[in-house]
Amino acid sequence: MLITKPIHKTILALTATIMAAGGAQAYELNLGTNMPPVDFHGFVSQGLLYSSSYNYLANNTKEGSFQFSEAGINASINPFDRTRISAQGFLFDTGNVGQYHPFLDYAQIDYTFSDAFGVRAGRIRRPSGIYNHIQDVDLARTFVLLPQGMYDARWRDWSAGLDGGELFGNVSLSKAGSVGYEFYGGLVNMAQNGGVARYIENGLPPSPIGAFNDINSTPVVGGQLWYNTPIDGLRLGGSLCFMDGFGYDVTVIQPYGPGPIHSTGDVLLQQYSAEYLWKKWTFQAEYYTYNFTGNKYAPAFGNANIGAAGDNPATWYVAASYQFNKYLQAGAYYTEFRDYSVSSTSSDGHQNDAALCLRVDPTDWWTFKIEGHYIDGTGLLRDDLHNPTRSDNGWFMLAVKTTFSF
Amino acid sequence: MKSKFTRIAGLVIGLSLGAFSAHALDGAVVIANSSVAADSLTADALKDIYTGKTKYWDGGQAVIITVLPDKTDAALQQACGMDTSSLKTFWQRLAFSGRGQEPKKADDAAGVVALVAATKGAIAIVPADATLTGVKKLDVK
Repeated sequence: MLITKPIHKTILALTATIMAAGGAQAYELNLGTNMPPVDFHGFVSQGLLYSSSYNYLANNTKEGSFQFSEAGINASINPFDRTRISAQGFLFDTGNVGQYHPFLDYAQIDYTFSDAFGVRAGRIRRPSGIYNHIQDVDLARTFVLLPQGMYDARWRDWSAGLDGGELFGNVSLSKAGSVGYEFYGGLVNMAQNGGVARYIENGLPPSPIGAFNDINSTPVVGGQLWYNTPIDGLRLGGSLCFMDGFGYDVTVIQPYGPGPIHSTGDVLLQQYSAEYLWKKWTFQAEYYTYNFTGNKYAPAFGNANIGAAGDNPATWYVAASYQFNKYLQAGAYYTEFRDYSVSSTSSDGHQNDAALCLRVDPTDWWTFKIEGHYIDGTGLLRDDLHNPTRSDNGWFMLAVKTTFSF
Repeated sequence: MKSKFTRIAGLVIGLSLGAFSAHALDGAVVIANSSVAADSLTADALKDIYTGKTKYWDGGQAVIITVLPDKTDAALQQACGMDTSSLKTFWQRLAFSGRGQEPKKADDAAGVVALVAATKGAIAIVPADATLTGVKKLDVK
Protein backbone atom coordinates (compact mmCIF):
# COMPACT_ATOMS: atom_id res chain seq x y z
CA MET A 1 0.00 0.00 0.00
CA LEU A 2 1.46 3.33 -1.03
CA ILE A 3 1.96 5.65 1.92
CA THR A 4 0.66 9.09 0.99
CA LYS A 5 -1.18 12.06 2.41
CA PRO A 6 -4.04 13.99 0.83
CA ILE A 7 -1.89 17.10 0.88
CA HIS A 8 0.49 15.58 -1.67
CA LYS A 9 -2.20 15.12 -4.29
CA THR A 10 -3.78 18.50 -3.54
CA ILE A 11 -0.55 20.45 -3.93
CA LEU A 12 0.40 18.58 -7.06
CA ALA A 13 -2.96 18.98 -8.78
CA LEU A 14 -3.29 22.65 -7.85
CA THR A 15 0.19 23.51 -8.99
CA ALA A 16 -0.15 21.59 -12.25
CA THR A 17 -3.31 23.55 -12.97
CA ILE A 18 -1.64 26.88 -12.25
CA MET A 19 1.35 25.96 -14.39
CA ALA A 20 -0.75 24.82 -17.30
CA ALA A 21 -2.71 28.04 -17.17
CA GLY A 22 0.23 30.39 -16.78
CA GLY A 23 2.98 28.59 -18.61
CA ALA A 24 6.55 29.08 -17.49
CA GLN A 25 6.63 32.87 -17.32
CA ALA A 26 7.84 34.43 -14.12
CA TYR A 27 5.38 36.67 -12.41
CA GLU A 28 6.13 40.36 -11.93
CA LEU A 29 4.69 42.83 -9.49
CA ASN A 30 4.90 46.36 -10.82
CA LEU A 31 5.24 48.86 -8.03
CA GLY A 32 3.84 51.69 -10.10
CA THR A 33 6.82 53.96 -9.47
CA ASN A 34 10.25 54.36 -11.02
CA MET A 35 11.25 51.21 -9.20
CA PRO A 36 11.80 48.04 -11.22
CA PRO A 37 9.23 45.27 -10.80
CA VAL A 38 9.50 42.51 -8.21
CA ASP A 39 10.19 39.15 -9.89
CA PHE A 40 8.57 36.00 -8.56
CA HIS A 41 9.62 32.41 -9.25
CA GLY A 42 8.63 29.15 -7.63
CA PHE A 43 8.45 25.41 -7.85
CA VAL A 44 6.68 22.40 -6.40
CA SER A 45 8.22 18.92 -6.41
CA GLN A 46 6.64 15.62 -5.48
CA GLY A 47 8.59 12.41 -5.31
CA LEU A 48 7.98 8.72 -4.78
CA LEU A 49 10.51 6.47 -3.07
CA TYR A 50 10.42 2.69 -3.20
CA SER A 51 13.03 0.31 -1.82
CA SER A 52 13.41 -3.45 -2.04
CA SER A 53 14.77 -3.68 1.50
CA TYR A 54 14.89 -1.25 4.41
CA ASN A 55 13.07 2.02 4.83
CA TYR A 56 15.32 4.77 3.61
CA LEU A 57 14.77 8.54 3.77
CA ALA A 58 11.07 7.99 4.50
CA ASN A 59 9.30 5.72 6.96
CA ASN A 60 7.80 3.08 4.69
CA THR A 61 9.68 3.07 1.42
CA LYS A 62 9.42 -0.74 1.33
CA GLU A 63 5.77 -0.18 0.52
CA GLY A 64 6.37 2.98 -1.50
CA SER A 65 6.23 6.44 0.04
CA PHE A 66 5.31 9.93 -1.12
CA GLN A 67 7.05 11.49 1.93
CA PHE A 68 9.40 13.35 -0.41
CA SER A 69 8.21 16.82 -1.39
CA GLU A 70 9.50 20.37 -1.67
CA ALA A 71 7.99 23.71 -2.59
CA GLY A 72 9.53 27.14 -2.76
CA ILE A 73 8.59 30.63 -3.85
CA ASN A 74 10.99 33.54 -4.15
CA ALA A 75 10.88 37.23 -4.87
CA SER A 76 13.68 39.58 -5.88
CA ILE A 77 14.15 43.20 -6.81
CA ASN A 78 17.03 45.51 -7.71
CA PRO A 79 15.72 48.67 -6.00
CA PHE A 80 18.94 50.69 -6.30
CA ASP A 81 22.17 50.53 -8.25
CA ARG A 82 24.26 47.46 -7.41
CA THR A 83 21.70 46.38 -4.82
CA ARG A 84 19.47 43.34 -4.75
CA ILE A 85 16.94 42.24 -2.18
CA SER A 86 15.60 38.69 -2.35
CA ALA A 87 13.75 36.19 -0.20
CA GLN A 88 12.45 32.65 -0.52
CA GLY A 89 9.84 30.75 1.46
CA PHE A 90 10.19 27.00 1.55
CA LEU A 91 8.55 23.88 2.85
CA PHE A 92 9.49 20.23 2.51
CA ASP A 93 8.78 16.75 3.76
CA THR A 94 11.37 13.97 3.84
CA GLY A 95 10.21 11.12 6.03
CA ASN A 96 9.91 12.46 9.58
CA VAL A 97 11.68 15.69 8.77
CA GLY A 98 10.12 18.88 7.49
CA GLN A 99 6.47 17.88 7.79
CA TYR A 100 5.39 20.71 5.45
CA HIS A 101 6.13 23.41 8.01
CA PRO A 102 6.83 26.58 5.97
CA PHE A 103 9.86 28.63 6.85
CA LEU A 104 12.00 31.45 5.56
CA ASP A 105 14.68 29.79 3.45
CA TYR A 106 16.65 32.92 2.67
CA ALA A 107 16.10 36.66 3.03
CA GLN A 108 19.01 38.84 2.14
CA ILE A 109 20.31 42.05 0.78
CA ASP A 110 23.47 42.22 -1.26
CA TYR A 111 25.55 45.07 -2.58
CA THR A 112 28.03 44.43 -5.39
CA PHE A 113 30.86 46.94 -5.43
CA SER A 114 32.45 45.28 -8.44
CA ASP A 115 32.72 41.84 -10.08
CA ALA A 116 35.52 41.13 -7.60
CA PHE A 117 33.81 42.20 -4.37
CA GLY A 118 30.35 42.20 -2.89
CA VAL A 119 28.69 41.80 0.50
CA ARG A 120 25.55 39.91 1.42
CA ALA A 121 23.70 39.83 4.74
CA GLY A 122 20.64 38.17 6.19
CA ARG A 123 19.60 34.56 6.03
CA ILE A 124 21.73 33.09 3.28
CA ARG A 125 22.25 29.74 1.63
CA ARG A 126 25.58 28.22 2.60
CA PRO A 127 27.94 27.47 -0.29
CA SER A 128 29.77 24.15 -0.23
CA GLY A 129 30.65 22.13 -3.26
CA ILE A 130 28.62 21.88 -6.42
CA TYR A 131 25.19 21.33 -4.90
CA ASN A 132 24.94 22.33 -1.22
CA HIS A 133 23.30 25.71 -1.84
CA ILE A 134 20.75 24.12 -4.23
CA GLN A 135 20.49 20.62 -2.74
CA ASP A 136 16.70 20.77 -2.42
CA VAL A 137 15.94 22.41 -5.78
CA ASP A 138 15.02 19.44 -7.95
CA LEU A 139 14.93 21.30 -11.26
CA ALA A 140 18.50 22.54 -10.83
CA ARG A 141 20.09 19.12 -11.39
CA THR A 142 19.82 15.87 -13.35
CA PHE A 143 19.39 13.45 -10.42
CA VAL A 144 16.49 12.85 -8.05
CA LEU A 145 18.76 11.92 -5.13
CA LEU A 146 22.17 13.49 -4.79
CA PRO A 147 24.87 11.34 -3.14
CA GLN A 148 23.34 11.20 0.33
CA GLY A 149 26.57 10.82 2.25
CA MET A 150 27.37 14.36 1.10
CA TYR A 151 23.92 15.91 0.57
CA ASP A 152 21.62 14.14 3.04
CA ALA A 153 18.07 15.25 2.23
CA ARG A 154 17.16 15.02 5.92
CA TRP A 155 20.01 17.23 7.15
CA ARG A 156 19.16 20.53 5.46
CA ASP A 157 18.83 22.35 8.82
CA TRP A 158 22.52 21.61 9.38
CA SER A 159 23.81 22.17 5.88
CA ALA A 160 21.60 24.50 3.87
CA GLY A 161 21.93 27.96 5.39
CA LEU A 162 22.95 30.37 8.08
CA ASP A 163 21.95 33.72 9.54
CA GLY A 164 24.85 36.08 9.02
CA GLY A 165 26.72 37.46 6.10
CA GLU A 166 29.24 36.79 3.41
CA LEU A 167 31.78 38.43 1.16
CA PHE A 168 31.70 37.27 -2.46
CA GLY A 169 33.20 37.99 -5.81
CA ASN A 170 35.05 36.73 -8.86
CA VAL A 171 38.65 37.79 -9.42
CA SER A 172 39.99 37.61 -12.95
CA LEU A 173 43.44 36.07 -13.43
CA SER A 174 43.52 37.13 -17.06
CA LYS A 175 44.69 34.22 -19.21
CA ALA A 176 44.93 32.00 -16.13
CA GLY A 177 41.15 32.04 -15.65
CA SER A 178 39.44 33.42 -12.57
CA VAL A 179 38.75 32.63 -8.93
CA GLY A 180 35.28 32.89 -7.44
CA TYR A 181 34.98 33.13 -3.68
CA GLU A 182 32.41 33.26 -0.91
CA PHE A 183 33.49 33.74 2.73
CA TYR A 184 30.73 33.59 5.31
CA GLY A 185 30.08 33.74 9.02
CA GLY A 186 27.02 33.53 11.20
CA LEU A 187 24.75 31.14 13.05
CA VAL A 188 23.37 27.80 11.91
CA ASN A 189 19.90 27.31 13.37
CA MET A 190 19.48 23.63 14.16
CA ALA A 191 15.89 22.38 14.11
CA GLN A 192 14.72 20.58 17.25
CA ASN A 193 12.96 18.02 15.05
CA GLY A 194 15.35 18.20 12.12
CA GLY A 195 17.43 15.50 10.50
CA VAL A 196 20.47 15.91 12.77
CA ALA A 197 18.28 15.75 15.89
CA ARG A 198 16.71 12.57 14.51
CA TYR A 199 20.18 11.14 13.82
CA ILE A 200 21.23 11.77 17.42
CA GLU A 201 17.94 10.31 18.68
CA ASN A 202 18.53 7.23 16.54
CA GLY A 203 21.75 6.55 18.45
CA LEU A 204 20.03 6.50 21.85
CA PRO A 205 18.51 3.53 23.67
CA PRO A 206 14.80 3.28 22.92
CA SER A 207 12.37 5.41 24.91
CA PRO A 208 11.77 5.61 27.84
CA ILE A 209 15.40 4.77 28.56
CA GLY A 210 16.80 7.30 26.11
CA ALA A 211 15.40 10.69 25.13
CA PHE A 212 16.54 13.54 22.92
CA ASN A 213 16.16 16.92 24.62
CA ASP A 214 17.77 19.77 22.74
CA ILE A 215 20.19 20.85 20.03
CA ASN A 216 21.75 24.28 19.95
CA SER A 217 22.32 26.81 17.22
CA THR A 218 25.96 26.92 16.25
CA PRO A 219 28.33 29.71 15.21
CA VAL A 220 29.91 28.97 11.85
CA VAL A 221 32.60 30.41 9.61
CA GLY A 222 33.75 29.11 6.27
CA GLY A 223 34.38 29.66 2.65
CA GLN A 224 34.08 28.26 -0.85
CA LEU A 225 36.62 28.87 -3.59
CA TRP A 226 36.13 28.04 -7.25
CA TYR A 227 39.01 28.14 -9.71
CA ASN A 228 37.59 28.65 -13.20
CA THR A 229 40.49 27.30 -15.19
CA PRO A 230 41.64 28.47 -18.64
CA ILE A 231 40.30 25.15 -19.98
CA ASP A 232 36.79 26.02 -21.10
CA GLY A 233 34.21 24.24 -18.93
CA LEU A 234 36.60 23.06 -16.21
CA ARG A 235 36.39 24.36 -12.67
CA LEU A 236 37.92 23.12 -9.42
CA GLY A 237 36.59 23.91 -5.96
CA GLY A 238 37.45 23.67 -2.30
CA SER A 239 35.35 24.43 0.76
CA LEU A 240 36.05 24.60 4.48
CA CYS A 241 33.49 25.16 7.21
CA PHE A 242 34.13 25.37 10.97
CA MET A 243 31.30 25.07 13.46
CA ASP A 244 32.26 26.25 16.92
CA GLY A 245 30.63 24.62 19.92
CA PHE A 246 28.09 22.36 18.24
CA GLY A 247 26.13 20.79 21.08
CA TYR A 248 23.11 18.74 22.03
CA ASP A 249 21.42 17.38 25.14
CA VAL A 250 20.03 13.90 25.67
CA THR A 251 18.96 11.85 28.68
CA VAL A 252 19.68 8.21 29.43
CA ILE A 253 17.93 7.30 32.66
CA GLN A 254 19.72 5.56 35.47
CA PRO A 255 20.85 2.82 35.91
CA TYR A 256 21.33 2.59 32.13
CA GLY A 257 23.03 5.97 32.00
CA PRO A 258 23.99 9.01 34.06
CA GLY A 259 20.76 10.90 33.36
CA PRO A 260 21.16 14.14 31.41
CA ILE A 261 24.15 14.21 29.06
CA HIS A 262 25.46 17.32 27.34
CA SER A 263 27.70 16.78 24.32
CA THR A 264 29.64 19.60 22.80
CA GLY A 265 32.49 19.98 20.38
CA ASP A 266 33.73 21.52 17.17
CA VAL A 267 33.06 20.43 13.62
CA LEU A 268 35.32 20.89 10.63
CA LEU A 269 33.83 20.16 7.20
CA GLN A 270 35.90 19.86 4.06
CA GLN A 271 34.68 19.44 0.50
CA TYR A 272 36.64 19.25 -2.74
CA SER A 273 35.03 19.38 -6.17
CA ALA A 274 35.74 19.16 -9.86
CA GLU A 275 33.32 19.80 -12.69
CA TYR A 276 33.90 19.66 -16.44
CA LEU A 277 31.32 20.71 -19.01
CA TRP A 278 32.21 19.46 -22.49
CA LYS A 279 29.72 19.80 -25.32
CA LYS A 280 26.57 18.05 -24.05
CA TRP A 281 28.41 16.20 -21.27
CA THR A 282 28.82 17.13 -17.62
CA PHE A 283 31.40 15.31 -15.52
CA GLN A 284 31.59 15.79 -11.76
CA ALA A 285 33.58 14.42 -8.84
CA GLU A 286 33.52 15.43 -5.18
CA TYR A 287 34.99 14.37 -1.85
CA TYR A 288 33.47 15.36 1.48
CA THR A 289 34.32 14.72 5.09
CA TYR A 290 33.55 16.21 8.46
CA ASN A 291 35.20 15.71 11.81
CA PHE A 292 33.20 16.28 14.99
CA THR A 293 35.42 16.11 18.06
CA GLY A 294 34.06 16.85 21.50
CA ASN A 295 33.18 15.53 24.90
CA LYS A 296 30.17 14.39 26.87
CA TYR A 297 29.35 15.83 30.27
CA ALA A 298 26.98 14.67 33.02
CA PRO A 299 25.34 17.69 34.70
CA ALA A 300 23.90 15.47 37.44
CA PHE A 301 27.45 14.50 38.43
CA GLY A 302 29.03 17.91 38.68
CA ASN A 303 29.39 18.16 34.93
CA ALA A 304 31.90 15.34 34.93
CA ASN A 305 33.50 14.52 31.60
CA ILE A 306 32.18 11.05 30.85
CA GLY A 307 33.90 10.44 27.54
CA ALA A 308 34.62 11.62 24.05
CA ALA A 309 31.97 12.46 21.47
CA GLY A 310 32.85 12.30 17.84
CA ASP A 311 31.98 11.45 14.29
CA ASN A 312 34.20 11.30 11.22
CA PRO A 313 32.59 10.02 8.03
CA ALA A 314 33.72 10.57 4.45
CA THR A 315 31.99 10.40 1.08
CA TRP A 316 33.10 10.62 -2.52
CA TYR A 317 31.36 10.29 -5.85
CA VAL A 318 31.89 10.49 -9.59
CA ALA A 319 29.05 11.42 -11.93
CA ALA A 320 28.37 11.96 -15.60
CA SER A 321 25.31 13.28 -17.41
CA TYR A 322 24.43 13.84 -21.04
CA GLN A 323 21.88 16.24 -22.51
CA PHE A 324 20.39 14.62 -25.61
CA ASN A 325 18.23 17.62 -26.41
CA LYS A 326 16.13 20.16 -24.53
CA TYR A 327 13.65 17.42 -23.57
CA LEU A 328 15.90 14.59 -22.43
CA GLN A 329 18.89 14.10 -20.13
CA ALA A 330 20.46 10.97 -18.67
CA GLY A 331 22.93 10.66 -15.83
CA ALA A 332 24.76 8.15 -13.66
CA TYR A 333 26.88 8.27 -10.54
CA TYR A 334 28.74 6.00 -8.16
CA THR A 335 29.29 7.01 -4.55
CA GLU A 336 30.88 5.52 -1.44
CA PHE A 337 30.16 6.53 2.15
CA ARG A 338 32.31 5.42 5.08
CA ASP A 339 31.59 5.86 8.77
CA TYR A 340 34.96 5.40 10.45
CA SER A 341 33.38 5.21 13.93
CA VAL A 342 31.75 1.90 12.96
CA SER A 343 33.52 -1.35 12.26
CA SER A 344 34.36 -1.79 8.59
CA THR A 345 32.92 -5.32 8.72
CA SER A 346 29.48 -4.00 9.70
CA SER A 347 26.96 -3.04 7.04
CA ASP A 348 26.42 0.17 9.05
CA GLY A 349 30.00 1.20 8.40
CA HIS A 350 29.47 1.96 4.73
CA GLN A 351 26.93 2.59 1.99
CA ASN A 352 27.85 2.37 -1.68
CA ASP A 353 25.38 3.46 -4.32
CA ALA A 354 25.29 3.14 -8.11
CA ALA A 355 22.55 5.30 -9.67
CA LEU A 356 21.10 5.72 -13.13
CA CYS A 357 18.67 8.54 -13.94
CA LEU A 358 16.53 9.74 -16.82
CA ARG A 359 15.22 13.31 -16.79
CA VAL A 360 12.47 14.47 -19.15
CA ASP A 361 11.40 18.12 -19.59
CA PRO A 362 8.20 17.92 -21.67
CA THR A 363 7.67 21.68 -21.28
CA ASP A 364 9.51 24.69 -19.88
CA TRP A 365 7.61 24.35 -16.60
CA TRP A 366 7.37 20.59 -16.08
CA THR A 367 10.16 18.13 -15.24
CA PHE A 368 9.87 14.38 -14.67
CA LYS A 369 12.63 12.08 -13.46
CA ILE A 370 12.97 8.35 -12.89
CA GLU A 371 16.02 6.93 -11.16
CA GLY A 372 17.23 3.51 -10.05
CA HIS A 373 19.79 2.75 -7.35
CA TYR A 374 21.71 -0.38 -6.43
CA ILE A 375 22.90 0.05 -2.87
CA ASP A 376 25.34 -1.97 -0.81
CA GLY A 377 25.51 -1.20 2.93
CA THR A 378 23.26 0.51 5.44
CA GLY A 379 25.46 3.27 6.83
CA LEU A 380 23.11 6.07 5.81
CA LEU A 381 19.79 4.55 6.88
CA ARG A 382 20.13 6.20 10.30
CA ASP A 383 16.73 4.87 11.32
CA ASP A 384 17.02 1.76 13.52
CA LEU A 385 13.35 1.97 14.53
CA HIS A 386 12.16 1.28 10.99
CA ASN A 387 15.14 -0.95 10.09
CA PRO A 388 15.77 -3.20 13.12
CA THR A 389 17.56 -5.86 11.09
CA ARG A 390 20.34 -4.93 8.69
CA SER A 391 22.82 -6.95 6.67
CA ASP A 392 25.33 -6.47 3.93
CA ASN A 393 23.19 -7.80 1.11
CA GLY A 394 22.68 -5.41 -1.77
CA TRP A 395 19.31 -3.75 -2.24
CA PHE A 396 17.50 -1.57 -4.76
CA MET A 397 15.76 1.79 -4.61
CA LEU A 398 13.52 3.50 -7.13
CA ALA A 399 13.08 7.28 -6.96
CA VAL A 400 10.58 9.12 -9.14
CA LYS A 401 10.01 12.85 -8.99
CA THR A 402 8.04 15.50 -10.84
CA THR A 403 8.46 19.28 -10.57
CA PHE A 404 6.37 22.19 -11.75
CA SER A 405 8.06 25.58 -11.86
CA PHE A 406 7.54 29.15 -12.95
CA MET B 1 53.74 30.23 -59.73
CA LYS B 2 51.49 33.29 -59.94
CA SER B 3 48.35 31.23 -59.30
CA LYS B 4 50.01 29.56 -56.29
CA PHE B 5 50.91 33.01 -54.93
CA THR B 6 47.34 34.15 -55.46
CA ARG B 7 45.99 31.14 -53.61
CA ILE B 8 48.38 31.68 -50.71
CA ALA B 9 47.54 35.38 -50.56
CA GLY B 10 43.86 34.57 -50.62
CA LEU B 11 44.33 32.09 -47.81
CA VAL B 12 46.24 34.62 -45.71
CA ILE B 13 43.63 37.32 -46.31
CA GLY B 14 40.85 34.89 -45.54
CA LEU B 15 42.49 33.78 -42.31
CA SER B 16 43.09 37.40 -41.31
CA LEU B 17 39.49 38.29 -41.93
CA GLY B 18 38.48 35.24 -39.97
CA ALA B 19 40.64 36.36 -37.06
CA PHE B 20 39.26 39.91 -37.25
CA SER B 21 35.70 38.65 -37.02
CA ALA B 22 36.55 35.69 -34.75
CA HIS B 23 34.30 37.04 -32.01
CA ALA B 24 31.26 37.79 -34.17
CA LEU B 25 28.34 35.52 -33.27
CA ASP B 26 27.03 33.09 -35.86
CA GLY B 27 23.92 34.56 -37.42
CA ALA B 28 23.18 36.71 -34.39
CA VAL B 29 23.79 40.10 -32.86
CA VAL B 30 23.92 41.40 -29.30
CA ILE B 31 21.44 44.13 -28.42
CA ALA B 32 20.95 46.20 -25.27
CA ASN B 33 18.58 48.73 -23.78
CA SER B 34 19.46 52.33 -24.66
CA SER B 35 20.26 52.95 -20.96
CA VAL B 36 23.38 50.79 -21.35
CA ALA B 37 26.35 53.10 -21.86
CA ALA B 38 28.61 50.55 -23.58
CA ASP B 39 28.68 50.35 -27.38
CA SER B 40 30.76 47.19 -27.46
CA LEU B 41 31.80 44.26 -25.33
CA THR B 42 34.74 41.93 -25.42
CA ALA B 43 33.93 38.26 -25.83
CA ASP B 44 35.13 37.68 -22.25
CA ALA B 45 32.88 40.44 -20.92
CA LEU B 46 29.89 38.96 -22.76
CA LYS B 47 30.66 35.55 -21.28
CA ASP B 48 31.00 37.02 -17.79
CA ILE B 49 27.54 38.55 -18.15
CA TYR B 50 25.88 35.34 -19.29
CA THR B 51 27.65 33.27 -16.62
CA GLY B 52 26.68 35.58 -13.79
CA LYS B 53 30.14 36.88 -12.97
CA THR B 54 29.09 40.38 -14.02
CA LYS B 55 25.69 41.30 -12.68
CA TYR B 56 25.85 45.11 -13.02
CA TRP B 57 26.84 47.51 -15.77
CA ASP B 58 29.61 50.03 -15.02
CA GLY B 59 27.05 52.62 -13.99
CA GLY B 60 25.49 50.29 -11.40
CA GLN B 61 22.38 49.32 -13.36
CA ALA B 62 21.47 45.65 -13.00
CA VAL B 63 22.16 43.47 -16.05
CA ILE B 64 18.85 41.93 -17.17
CA ILE B 65 19.48 39.02 -19.52
CA THR B 66 16.69 38.33 -21.99
CA VAL B 67 16.56 35.07 -23.90
CA LEU B 68 14.97 33.92 -27.14
CA PRO B 69 14.66 30.16 -26.39
CA ASP B 70 16.19 27.74 -28.92
CA LYS B 71 16.41 30.15 -31.86
CA THR B 72 19.94 31.43 -31.14
CA ASP B 73 21.51 28.38 -29.50
CA ALA B 74 24.61 28.41 -31.73
CA ALA B 75 25.35 32.04 -30.88
CA LEU B 76 24.57 31.45 -27.20
CA GLN B 77 26.98 28.52 -27.20
CA GLN B 78 29.66 30.78 -28.70
CA ALA B 79 28.97 33.52 -26.20
CA CYS B 80 28.95 31.50 -22.98
CA GLY B 81 29.35 27.79 -23.73
CA MET B 82 25.71 26.98 -22.93
CA ASP B 83 22.59 26.45 -24.99
CA THR B 84 19.12 27.59 -23.88
CA SER B 85 18.47 24.53 -21.68
CA SER B 86 21.82 24.68 -19.93
CA LEU B 87 21.54 28.44 -19.46
CA LYS B 88 18.10 28.02 -17.91
CA THR B 89 19.37 25.39 -15.42
CA PHE B 90 22.44 27.53 -14.65
CA TRP B 91 20.35 30.57 -13.78
CA GLN B 92 17.74 28.56 -11.89
CA ARG B 93 20.58 27.42 -9.59
CA LEU B 94 21.53 31.03 -8.97
CA ALA B 95 17.97 32.27 -8.56
CA PHE B 96 16.78 29.57 -6.16
CA SER B 97 19.85 30.01 -3.96
CA GLY B 98 19.53 33.79 -3.79
CA ARG B 99 22.54 34.50 -5.97
CA GLY B 100 20.94 35.80 -9.12
CA GLN B 101 17.79 36.52 -11.09
CA GLU B 102 16.49 34.28 -13.86
CA PRO B 103 16.64 35.71 -17.39
CA LYS B 104 13.47 37.07 -18.93
CA LYS B 105 12.29 35.49 -22.15
CA ALA B 106 10.05 36.02 -25.12
CA ASP B 107 8.80 33.63 -27.77
CA ASP B 108 10.03 35.48 -30.85
CA ALA B 109 12.68 37.98 -31.90
CA ALA B 110 10.24 40.88 -32.00
CA GLY B 111 9.17 40.06 -28.45
CA VAL B 112 12.76 39.97 -27.23
CA VAL B 113 13.55 43.28 -28.93
CA ALA B 114 10.47 44.89 -27.39
CA LEU B 115 11.38 43.51 -23.93
CA VAL B 116 14.95 44.80 -24.22
CA ALA B 117 13.70 48.19 -25.42
CA ALA B 118 11.41 48.46 -22.39
CA THR B 119 13.77 47.16 -19.70
CA LYS B 120 16.62 49.23 -18.31
CA GLY B 121 19.87 47.30 -18.30
CA ALA B 122 18.57 44.54 -20.58
CA ILE B 123 20.79 42.59 -22.97
CA ALA B 124 19.93 39.85 -25.44
CA ILE B 125 21.23 37.81 -28.36
CA VAL B 126 18.85 37.89 -31.33
CA PRO B 127 19.00 36.66 -34.94
CA ALA B 128 20.99 38.96 -37.19
CA ASP B 129 17.93 39.69 -39.34
CA ALA B 130 15.79 40.87 -36.42
CA THR B 131 14.33 44.38 -36.63
CA LEU B 132 16.12 46.33 -33.91
CA THR B 133 13.56 48.99 -33.04
CA GLY B 134 14.30 50.98 -29.89
CA VAL B 135 17.46 49.11 -28.91
CA LYS B 136 21.16 49.54 -29.51
CA LYS B 137 23.46 47.00 -31.05
CA LEU B 138 26.62 46.05 -29.14
CA ASP B 139 29.69 45.03 -31.12
CA VAL B 140 31.45 41.96 -29.80
CA LYS B 141 35.22 42.33 -30.04
